[in-house]
Amino acid sequence: MFSLTKGCGCVNFGGRRTRSMGDDSSSCRSSEIEQESPKKLTRRVLNGDCTMKALAPFLRFWKRDEVSMTKAERTMKAAILIQQWYRRYLARMEVRRRYTWTIFQSIEYAGEQDQVKLYNFFNALLSHMRDTTGRPSSERTSRTASVLEQVFSEESDEGGGVDETAPPKSARGPDIEFPLKRKDIDLLIEAFRKKKHRLHPKHVAQILKEASQTLKRLPNINVATTSISSQITICGDLHGKLDDLLVIFHKNGLPSTENPYIFNGDFVDRGKKSLEVLLLLLSCMLAFPGGVYLNRGNHEDLIMNARYGFIREVHQKYKHNAERLLKLIENVYRWLPLGTIINNRVFVVHGGISDTTDLDMVKSLERDKYASLLRPPVAEGTAPGAETIDKVEWKQVFDILWSDPQTTGGCVANALRGAGTYFGPDVTVRFLQKNKLSFIVRSHECKPGGYELLHDGNVITIFSASNYYEIGSNKGAYLKLCGNSLERQFVQYTAAVSRTRRLTFRQRVGLVESSAMRELHSHIVMARRQLEGTFRSMDPENCGFITISDWCTAMEQTTHLGLPWRMLKDKLVRTDPETRRVRYMDTFDLSANKFGRKSDTQTVAETLYKNKQSLEAIFKILDKDNSGYITLEEFSEACQLIGKYMPNPLTQEQLVDICRLMDINKDGLVDLNEFLESFRLAEKNLHEEDHELAEIQAT
Amino acid sequence: MARKEEPKIQANNDLEKKIIEAFEVFDHSGKQVVDVREIGTILRSLGCCPTEAEIQEVILATENKEATGNVPLSNFLPFMCKVMIQHRFYPATAEMLLAAFRYFDTEGRGYLSKERFTQLMLEEGEPFTQEEFEEMMQTALDPVTDTITYEYYINQLMVCILLIRFK
Repeated sequence: MFSLTKGCGCVNFGGRRTRSMGDDSSSCRSSEIEQESPKKLTRRVLNGDCTMKALAPFLRFWKRDEVSMTKAERTMKAAILIQQWYRRYLARMEVRRRYTWTIFQSIEYAGEQDQVKLYNFFNALLSHMRDTTGRPSSERTSRTASVLEQVFSEESDEGGGVDETAPPKSARGPDIEFPLKRKDIDLLIEAFRKKKHRLHPKHVAQILKEASQTLKRLPNINVATTSISSQITICGDLHGKLDDLLVIFHKNGLPSTENPYIFNGDFVDRGKKSLEVLLLLLSCMLAFPGGVYLNRGNHEDLIMNARYGFIREVHQKYKHNAERLLKLIENVYRWLPLGTIINNRVFVVHGGISDTTDLDMVKSLERDKYASLLRPPVAEGTAPGAETIDKVEWKQVFDILWSDPQTTGGCVANALRGAGTYFGPDVTVRFLQKNKLSFIVRSHECKPGGYELLHDGNVITIFSASNYYEIGSNKGAYLKLCGNSLERQFVQYTAAVSRTRRLTFRQRVGLVESSAMRELHSHIVMARRQLEGTFRSMDPENCGFITISDWCTAMEQTTHLGLPWRMLKDKLVRTDPETRRVRYMDTFDLSANKFGRKSDTQTVAETLYKNKQSLEAIFKILDKDNSGYITLEEFSEACQLIGKYMPNPLTQEQLVDICRLMDINKDGLVDLNEFLESFRLAEKNLHEEDHELAEIQAT
Repeated sequence: MARKEEPKIQANNDLEKKIIEAFEVFDHSGKQVVDVREIGTILRSLGCCPTEAEIQEVILATENKEATGNVPLSNFLPFMCKVMIQHRFYPATAEMLLAAFRYFDTEGRGYLSKERFTQLMLEEGEPFTQEEFEEMMQTALDPVTDTITYEYYINQLMVCILLIRFK
């Protein structure tokens, strides 16, 4: 093996040295290269290349290769050298791709974690409120259910009740008829793709209503068989990416009894066309009986939707009917089966399993209780005949919708997501044996290739939203199980091919990277106060520089994102080349050249926008009847309760004051805009205080 | 994320920190273990330029003896420190790369034909996979002449690498 010492140095070596190297290799029997070099000489001169320079690497290259070197061997060496070099270049790209992936994933999961924390807090809050206020008993059991059914039946009685407030122009949307047929599906696809006219809200409502009627009749764990079709297709998360769904239908055909599909949850959120995806899937289920199996995912939950965009989308698309439609959507969610078993052999479920997953229990629970998994039916305390939430049962549902597999053994709580578990290969094997199953197909995690095999192939992850984090970030895939043996066949694809294909790997990585850095930056800015404090404490002399190690430590301790800070360092801050110290204030500098984005300062509005997701979620939870309003009574109850846990409880007067303040238009109700506005004002005050403080210190 | 389990290996110096960080990018479980298939990428991302055969040697030397298929940091870190201190797998210079290309350019035309280069890269040495090859051709091939003007290509590659290093 020829090894490379101290580099080639052809640039440094003068003619004399090169000649001596020529002597070194003069023992070389076959010296084709040397014979060739005079020919080259003339050409090289034109390029301004000195002969010796051109020659030196050649000689050096073969120097160690002794006498016996044949032509074939040389060819091999030269080829290897090129390949070796190129592979190193590729590897560097790969590393960049991996850590941008980590950024996206960490930020995504941090959001989910927040959401679960919120629910923990508010759940306590709500159950407590119930105890103290003693609502009329009629509302006591499963409150969302009763509200829902009421609205639902009202609308059915009125017939076209939904459409009276609809904008007239949407009457020109696709004209579908019920019961839905193949031609209606074609119409829907056409309309959704061209997005010219919205589907009339009465049709939307009708699809949702009929779908929940159909879903209601299904068991918790749906049963699929390939006896007629002798094959079945499984798709993972779609997340509102209609293009991906259409690619799948285009490649694999529309669903039918002969061509059945299982859609494994997470149809909505994030993507811009969540509503279209959901409606198309439900319509296909209605139009092609036996052709579509739907599983619930962790995003089929209105509280998740409040944070991840679906609710906003419905509000934008159907301004006047959003609330009514959302209630219908919630009703679809609650009746979605939790999983599907194919031929008694394959367990298809959105998240996974835990060491306590008990299929019999999952099969027998009342799934419609969990309209939202993050806001389960609340314990009614001491009230007689009250329905209490069964923690064990609830965990069963949580585990199968939220868990991820891990490569090491055992089963631990999923700290990254804040809910569900990580389950190891041993847990999988035990589960499969106990239930006489062959393998598990799950989704829930984005994978670069759209799918992944884990646990010796016992656990398959399938993810069908391509370009999920950013254009070029990942492929989508679906899985076909064929024949009696259920042979696996993965099909990968990327939607919107035209735009992504021509980019090189480097360009794709660059694109995804800058988008990841923007995301990361907004996280950093949110934690600015705390970070700055930490930096300053590491810089007692106030020179503006800290060591690289300190900087990495500070970043991790504050953000808890678990990122390779040392690698990211050069993208975020400048390092003094002599002292190897980091100019830490750069961290907050969103300079234009850093990630190719217009330079702008973090405004109050931006801060608000970042927190908006959380605020909307809080609002959603407080607004128990989904009316879109919080009554002053509801809010003061919540405040009182929060007060109990605060070190300096507010007085009753102060509370009433706050409530009045929030009710900006003084109608006795706080709507979402008022709620957000009051936070904006509070935030602004905070900033002003800061400013004043700074001024005082300056003087 | 806070995933604290068994005592983790801590870095004692900047070299170790650098190695650990590169390792952790590929450590999905957070348990300081990576899949053997990632070792090549980790080595290369640390600036090394090993051949495929040399990567196999590294894997053999560092692989978990009880449960094959993965490499624990406890094996990888000391091995890698040694490698980097000794400058093993040190990359060839750009001139060397140029020399290798020139060797194939027997007539000294300054370019290689697409056919010749395809055959060399897919059949000789440690052949590229189709995917690696296509990726390379996207930038290496001059679409107008359908040839590889290698000097130009090497320059491009060098600029990219410099950018990665100093950006």
